[in-house]
Amino acid sequence: MRELTPEIREEIKDMIFDYYAEECEVEKDEITMETNPQNDLGSDSLMFVELIEMTADKYDMDIKLQAIGKYMLKTPMDTMSDVVDMFCKIYQYGNDIVNQ
Amino acid sequence: MDNYSRAFLFNGIGSKPEKLLVKLPPELMDKYIHYFDEAFARLGLCKDIEKNSFYDKRVAEWIISLICDRVVYEFYLEKGLIPDIGAGYSSGIVSISGCFGAVSHEFAHDIIMMNRATMKCLDENGQKLDMGVVIGFSYSDMQEILDKSFSPDELIIGSGNSRFHVMISGKAEAVTKALEICQNEGALKAFSFGTGVAYHHPVMKDYSHEYVELCGQDVYSAPVYPILSIFDYRIMTTGADIMKENQLNVYTPIRWDIALDKLADMGVREFFDVSANGAVSKFSRVKRKCKIYTLDDIIS
Repeated sequence: MRELTPEIREEIKDMIFDYYAEECEVEKDEITMETNPQNDLGSDSLMFVELIEMTADKYDMDIKLQAIGKYMLKTPMDTMSDVVDMFCKIYQYGNDIVNQ
Repeated sequence: MDNYSRAFLFNGIGSKPEKLLVKLPPELMDKYIHYFDEAFARLGLCKDIEKNSFYDKRVAEWIISLICDRVVYEFYLEKGLIPDIGAGYSSGIVSISGCFGAVSHEFAHDIIMMNRATMKCLDENGQKLDMGVVIGFSYSDMQEILDKSFSPDELIIGSGNSRFHVMISGKAEAVTKALEICQNEGALKAFSFGTGVAYHHPVMKDYSHEYVELCGQDVYSAPVYPILSIFDYRIMTTGADIMKENQLNVYTPIRWDIALDKLADMGVREFFDVSANGAVSKFSRVKRKCKIYTLDDIIS
C-alpha cells in the first residue's frame, strides 16, 4: 500500500478538477466536492476511463479497469467527493481497491 | 513503400444529431444547413426529425451523421490537412466512401437509407436482435465471457474497438444477459442500443439482401486517397475494393483496434477524427507515438 499524504490527496483532487473543468467546458471554481459529475457536468464513462489512464500514467501504475468497476458496484460515484476518494484509494491500493 | 503519416478516421452512425450539431462551429453551420436541406429534400425525409415515420426517423439521424462528417472533412481540407489514408468505423465506411470520392455523397446517402429495408425485413421475420457496448473490458476479456455462456449464433463481438471498449452483437436476449454478466464482472458501463439490429453479426446476411445488392451497383470509382480495410487490413485503392468493403460491412465483425495498430505500423502518427463530436477519439486508442486530433483541436 502506498502512503497517501495530504499533498498527494490535494494533487489528485486538482488533477481531477482540472480534467473535468476542461472536458466539460466549465470553470474550475464552479466545481465543488458536492457536484455530481454525471448530472451536473455531463461527464460519461469514457471520460472516466481517460481520467483513470491519466492517473495510471502520472503515478506509473498498472490499473485494471475491472477492479475499479467492481469497486464502483459497491460505491457509486455520485459526487466529486466520491470520485476524489476513489482515486485516492486507487493511488493507495492499486488493483486491490476492489477489496477495500 | 508508400509513406503514410496522416490518417482520417470516420465514425459510424450512433451519435445523436444534437450531440453532433452542438460541436459544429457557427462558420460551418451554413454549409451543414445547405447539405442538410439538399439531402432531406432529395430523400423525401421530413426536416423535423421527430415527424418522420419510425424507420425514416432512424435513417434521418444517420444521414445527419454523414452530413456532419462531410462538413468536418471539407473543413480539414480547407485547413490544409490532407490525408495520406483513411479508415471508416462501421458505417463510417459509407461516409469515407463518399468523402474520398469512391461514390457520390448522394449514393452514400442511398446506402444509409437502405437500412430501412433491412430493419423492416428483420421485423417481418420476427428477429429480435440487438447490439451493446461494454466499457472497461478488452476484446479477450469479452471473448472469455462469450465462450463460457454463449454460442456464436447467439452473440459475438461485433467490434473490438480498443483495450477498454467492445461492441457485442446478436440475439437481443443474449445481449441483455451478457451486459448483466459484464456489469457484475466489473464493467464501468454496459448498455444496449435497443435498435433491433445486430450489425456486424453474420445473421444479418440473410436480412440485408437489398442493402448488399445496392452496395454492389456499378457506381464506384477509385478513392482519391487509399482506405484501409477494417476487415482484412488491406490498403484499398480501387472502386471494386470499396464496393466489397461496403457489402461486407453489414454482416462482418470488425477489429477497429487492429486496424488502428496497422495504420501506426504503416507509419501513421497523426490521426484526425472526422466526427464533429470526437466520437472516434473517445472509444479508440492509438500507440504512444501517435495522437488523435479532433475538430475541437483544429478549431482551437
